[in-house]
Amino acid sequence: MKPPRFDYTAPTALPEALRALGEGACPLAGGQSLVLEMHYRRQRPSALVDLNGIAELDHITAGDDGLRVGALARHRAFEQPVAGPLGRLLSRAAVHIAHPPVRNRGTMLGSLAWANPASEWPAVALALQAELTLASASATRTVPAEEFFRGPHTTARRPDELLVEARFPALEGAAGFVEHRRTHASFAQVAAAVALTVRGGAVRQARIALAGAADRPIRVRAAEQHLVGLEVGRVAGGGSDEDAFRRAGELAAAAADPIPEPHGSAEHKRQVAAVLVRRALQQAHQDQADQDQPHQDGACGT
Amino acid sequence: MHRAAARADQHPGYADPVNDSAPAPRGLLRREDLRLTTGAGRYVADVAVPGCLDAAFVRSEVAHGRLLDVDTSGCAEVRGVVGAWSAADLDPLPEVPAFGPSGATRGRRWSALADDRVRYAGQPVAAVLGDDRYTAEDGADEVAVRVAELPALVDPTEAADSDTRLFDTGGNVAAEVDFGEPVDEEVFRRAPVVVAGEYRQQRLAPTSMEPRAFLAVPDGRGGLQVWCSHQAPHRLHRELAAALQLGHDQLRVQVPDSGGAFGAKSATFPEYLVVAQLALQRQRPVRWIEDRAEALVAATHGRGQNQRVQLAADESGRMLAMRVEVDADIGGFPHIGFVPNQTGLAATGAYRTPQVHARVRLVLTSTAPTYAYRGAGRPEAAYAVERTVDKLAHRLGLDPAELRRRNFIAPEQFPYGTPTGRLYDSGEYERALDLALSELDYDGWRAEQARERAKGGRALGIGLCSYVERSGADRGMTQEYGAVEVAATGAVTALSGSCSTGQSHETVFPRMVAEQLEVPEDRVQLQQRDTAEVPHGTGTFASRSMQLGGTALRRATDALLDEGRRRVAELSGSDEVSYGAGAFRAGERAWTLGELAAETGKLRGEDLHEGVPAFPFGCYAAVVEVDRELGDVQVLKLVAVDDYGVVVDPVVVDGQTRGSIAQGLGQALYEGVPYDEHGQPRISGLLDYLLPTVAEIPRTHLRETCTPNPNTPLGAKGAGEAGCIGVPPALVNAVADALGAHDEPQLQMPLTPETCRRAAEGAR
Repeated sequence: MKPPRFDYTAPTALPEALRALGEGACPLAGGQSLVLEMHYRRQRPSALVDLNGIAELDHITAGDDGLRVGALARHRAFEQPVAGPLGRLLSRAAVHIAHPPVRNRGTMLGSLAWANPASEWPAVALALQAELTLASASATRTVPAEEFFRGPHTTARRPDELLVEARFPALEGAAGFVEHRRTHASFAQVAAAVALTVRGGAVRQARIALAGAADRPIRVRAAEQHLVGLEVGRVAGGGSDEDAFRRAGELAAAAADPIPEPHGSAEHKRQVAAVLVRRALQQAHQDQADQDQPHQDGACGT
Repeated sequence: MHRAAARADQHPGYADPVNDSAPAPRGLLRREDLRLTTGAGRYVADVAVPGCLDAAFVRSEVAHGRLLDVDTSGCAEVRGVVGAWSAADLDPLPEVPAFGPSGATRGRRWSALADDRVRYAGQPVAAVLGDDRYTAEDGADEVAVRVAELPALVDPTEAADSDTRLFDTGGNVAAEVDFGEPVDEEVFRRAPVVVAGEYRQQRLAPTSMEPRAFLAVPDGRGGLQVWCSHQAPHRLHRELAAALQLGHDQLRVQVPDSGGAFGAKSATFPEYLVVAQLALQRQRPVRWIEDRAEALVAATHGRGQNQRVQLAADESGRMLAMRVEVDADIGGFPHIGFVPNQTGLAATGAYRTPQVHARVRLVLTSTAPTYAYRGAGRPEAAYAVERTVDKLAHRLGLDPAELRRRNFIAPEQFPYGTPTGRLYDSGEYERALDLALSELDYDGWRAEQARERAKGGRALGIGLCSYVERSGADRGMTQEYGAVEVAATGAVTALSGSCSTGQSHETVFPRMVAEQLEVPEDRVQLQQRDTAEVPHGTGTFASRSMQLGGTALRRATDALLDEGRRRVAELSGSDEVSYGAGAFRAGERAWTLGELAAETGKLRGEDLHEGVPAFPFGCYAAVVEVDRELGDVQVLKLVAVDDYGVVVDPVVVDGQTRGSIAQGLGQALYEGVPYDEHGQPRISGLLDYLLPTVAEIPRTHLRETCTPNPNTPLGAKGAGEAGCIGVPPALVNAVADALGAHDEPQLQMPLTPETCRRAAEGAR
């Protein structure tokens, strides 16, 4: 398992890197997928351009328009939640990615660009309606997540483009993330990400996304429609609407078209998707309820 | 029972830098640990030889077919490649030797590089030598192999009857062996209760941290020096010397630090033969450092059986007769496929069933050869028996522990000759069961289970496994060599024919000898793993090293002391010679061991110990909770009660038990090498061959009973494989109990979430 020869450059400025991409080089950030493929000789880039020295790519910036994430932000960075339901969703997803050494090196944007149908970030990007910025030597453009993922390991990114930023709009509401995998280090078989925009205790908009349920991340729109107007959190009186969540799960299973694997048939993954969507919605409901709780610190509570 | 060191879960950090092989410094448990945990271990790949070439193998991508052509001409263009060889280019073409006498290999050649046919995906077809592994793989890319495909055979039961034959001589059933007398069908017809089961033992990849590694260095005098990560250097020496036509002293085999073996590194593999021969013929050092992709697919696999069991009993659950039929998948070549015979021998289990018959068919398939893997035939037997015993309990409405009690071989019945050909030495099976039940809090969990069932709550299950193991090996492998020498300096060397691949010999054997000689531990060094320094040896496998190797050292030390007494009697003229605290005394005079050696020459004792197999045993108990919706299995509690006889080093044995438990867990829940209908293995790396990580290991409670081995002075039986044997039946029985799925045919290992979910649905 040794790769064939390749050229290697490590620029410190983005324009140089983009020029190299334009000449056919393959970008290297965390390398947690690419390098493995190279060792198996399944991918044979003639040149790698190492992005790890380009400081401007290494940022996670919170602002009014949400969270902006640069190409060098590692999975691990999201384990400590930034505030709010957005941060909690990112954190819950992050701790399911592979295992700690992989999370230390692998990057969120690398995972988005790699587009493994079972990866967490693509589903999360769909659920949060992320905007993805692609830059080449000649131009920059932004693509909504919905249009970015086109098939297994296939995205809107052209070979001469680099995914330089992902922007996650702020989320007013609640979120949930549940994953099913066989060991604490393996790929997800299926994962469900749920983002609910909640106002006045009712769901205004729901976004349910699945990983591992098709050849790309998918939104389950039939289930989403179903949830609009539903009461969640404390307004719902503490009890969650089990029927609505179960129905959403069933709709998710129907929408799924999973790729079978040796220990996970399509039928099994459909069943798992139904259960995970239901549990992710329960988690989101609890997330809303936790936010609705009055503060219980010592100063006020006595 | 003596305690050699602090408990394994209580060690502080170390303080002092020390040399290799000094006694473990304060806080470290073993001599090996400092170098092994600080990157100072020296494995085969660390042996630096100037000008060494790296080998990469071109491996068949087709599982079964006629080899038409191997074109290596493209390699000539690749910078750094020294050459490429197929079977046609190797003269002579070495063959993998048969292990043990076997009619199965007659007319069936296993050439080191495929010559007429390929018989498993991954079989070596050509070897490329390059300046380093990168260039060797570049060269391998350029080799073109043409194969006329033949139908693949991936299931042993199907292969047994198939018209597609892997060899021109004979069918695919390489051997059929009976253990015990066939049971008359009448017995089953008349029995009040008969239960039956069909089980699959999936193929496992042994997955030692270090895959295989082999380095051959010509000595400039027509001979060869070999470094190999191996369990049996003397056997490798013998087989390599024969294959390469080298005299005994023209070959030296050394095993440096070794990153685990688990049974899969005790043979003479095709790649070793090719590398050794090329090194000799080219007069250049050559090495092959196996990578993980090769190791998973093209190294030998463990297990691989289809099993059918029938068990007849009376109304009170007394077992009357058992029939076990095994179709064992030995892979593409029969030369090392003897492991399934252990399943037949072990088929009686812990019970005094009057009639037991096992029939084992060794069947060729177009898959990687199967061979020893921790447990080697005994986990398969325990599984077949213990799952069926639980089915019987379920059928009769009897508590599974009670059913076992009614059938155990009783303590007064030992030594017990089983219907399937074993002579069990000693055992107290009920005592182990009782201890397991109390450690588990069996009654408490049964009550909790009943509460949950009543309210339609959690799916909780409890599973048991009472096992009898066999340690020490048999049939010509029950010998081990030990010697102890004292130099004039007083330094003591213990020589052992065993061969540690991680079993702590470097710590345990010197400590044992030091205690017997009553000298400080740091005075004793271990010499093993070198055929030039240790004249005889059998090696380390089948949990034999303390039982046989330790006994040989004990007896060698006795012989040394006898020789010492004899010399002192002569020197002093007195018959009244005593020994204590490292010195002989006769009257007023005294000699330390070193002084005696200085005066009379090196002091030595030696023993070639011929032992008999021993029969460790135990009881494992597990509590699981199954998520009915997703099929996840959570092990809430796992209890292991093992009886290894007298335990010489509890810390080491504790580690062995835990390691084997992790591998048992792997077989039960996670691991397996599936093949598709074209004979292609459907795994390529550790991302799809799932090993349990530390996060998967449940809270495990280890207890022990001690029924000494009556046949060795140490009282020790073997330890190290128990978890592989006890865990799978206990876990699967627990899941069956949780789901009410004892009779579900789809409850087969590995118990993936999908498997459990389907079994849950089937049982509803």
